[in-house]
Amino acid sequence: MHVHELNPIRTTVILIGFTILIIIGLLTINNPRLTYKLSPKNTASLVGGNENYFYPYQLENLINGKDKNTLLFDIRNNFVFGQGHIPGAENVDAIELINEDNIKRLESLKKKGITVVVYGDTQLQANGPWMLLRQLGFDNIKILPGGFEYYNLMKNDLAASKTDLSYLPGNPKFNYAEISTSSGSDTLPRQTTKTEVKVERKKKNSGAEGGC
Amino acid sequence: MNRKYIFLAFLLIALGAGLLILPTRSVMKQIDPEKLMIEIMQPTRYVTTDQVAGMIIENDPTIRLVDVRPMNEYAAFSLPGSVSIPLDSIVTPTFIDILKENGMKVIFYDNDDIISDQAWVIARRLGYKNIYVMEGGLNEWVSTIIQPILPPETAPSQEFDLYNQRKGASLYFTGAKIESNDIKAEVKVSRKKKSGAEGGC
Repeated sequence: MHVHELNPIRTTVILIGFTILIIIGLLTINNPRLTYKLSPKNTASLVGGNENYFYPYQLENLINGKDKNTLLFDIRNNFVFGQGHIPGAENVDAIELINEDNIKRLESLKKKGITVVVYGDTQLQANGPWMLLRQLGFDNIKILPGGFEYYNLMKNDLAASKTDLSYLPGNPKFNYAEISTSSGSDTLPRQTTKTEVKVERKKKNSGAEGGC
Repeated sequence: MNRKYIFLAFLLIALGAGLLILPTRSVMKQIDPEKLMIEIMQPTRYVTTDQVAGMIIENDPTIRLVDVRPMNEYAAFSLPGSVSIPLDSIVTPTFIDILKENGMKVIFYDNDDIISDQAWVIARRLGYKNIYVMEGGLNEWVSTIIQPILPPETAPSQEFDLYNQRKGASLYFTGAKIESNDIKAEVKVSRKKKSGAEGGC
């Protein structure tokens, strides 16, 4: 008889223990705190849409308190935030943005249907954090194009930014094809500078002074 | 030995061997959200237009410029040696191979840098490294390389060096002929009127 048959109880206990161990192992490796809810493909399709933007002119209603459904998150560091930020904004440093407490908070905000707008100095600075939050499933997060820089520029007349398109990303500011050829008016201009050089001759002494 | 145990042992060995010969996953493992956030906060992914211009001029064989704009914009104009991978196609298998090239530095660009940055985030999430974003995009390319701005006279000499570098790059990329600066100096000679002799000898 095999040793395992001599001790059936011990064998069974060991087998069950081993199986439980494997099951626990399988369960625990597949449970990270944060998981992506959007596939990379879906992310690529959604990032271009205008519904992702919270426009600067919409900040007016936020600042004067009329908009009660939106929160503003400044993702820059505390020092820069202290130097100047959009009134009413909360400072949530980008790295802190995905810690446990903030994620719980974002989830409850999402449930309540509150929009969260993230901004940085520029749209570029906030782009990464915004994209990450969207991929984690927070579809109530928008981004402020132009960032704090543009807000600062326009803060005395935010409504005017409605007609300004210069701060929106992706717009070509030049006709690249034209500007990169060497034909016609695109050559480096011939610089002709006419400098007028006035040569003044000093007045010859009027006559000989003194004696001959 | 008992036949049962021989059979069990054989089964386990067969399973083990099966695991060994399983094909390695061709899909790279995505990185965790926390890790991605840390990577996002690094500024090391940005390269300047000057750096890109330098690499193109030096014929750096390790760069791969990727235009993430729509195909029609790429067709109208693109940087020399660049390939077109519009943002929404970035995850398709055909293009993913370009990101995988060993030893190549992939540099995303668009009209600005937002779409490039978005492409970067997605590619980084998929696990690709050696990916970069050209800061400022083509708008910056024109303002710095094609049409560099002459620094004011009071600027430090490094700015003038940079300007001259950019002028050289501009000639390279536009194929413009070198125009000389003609300085025509009109010399006005004004002679003061001679007045009569004052006083006497």
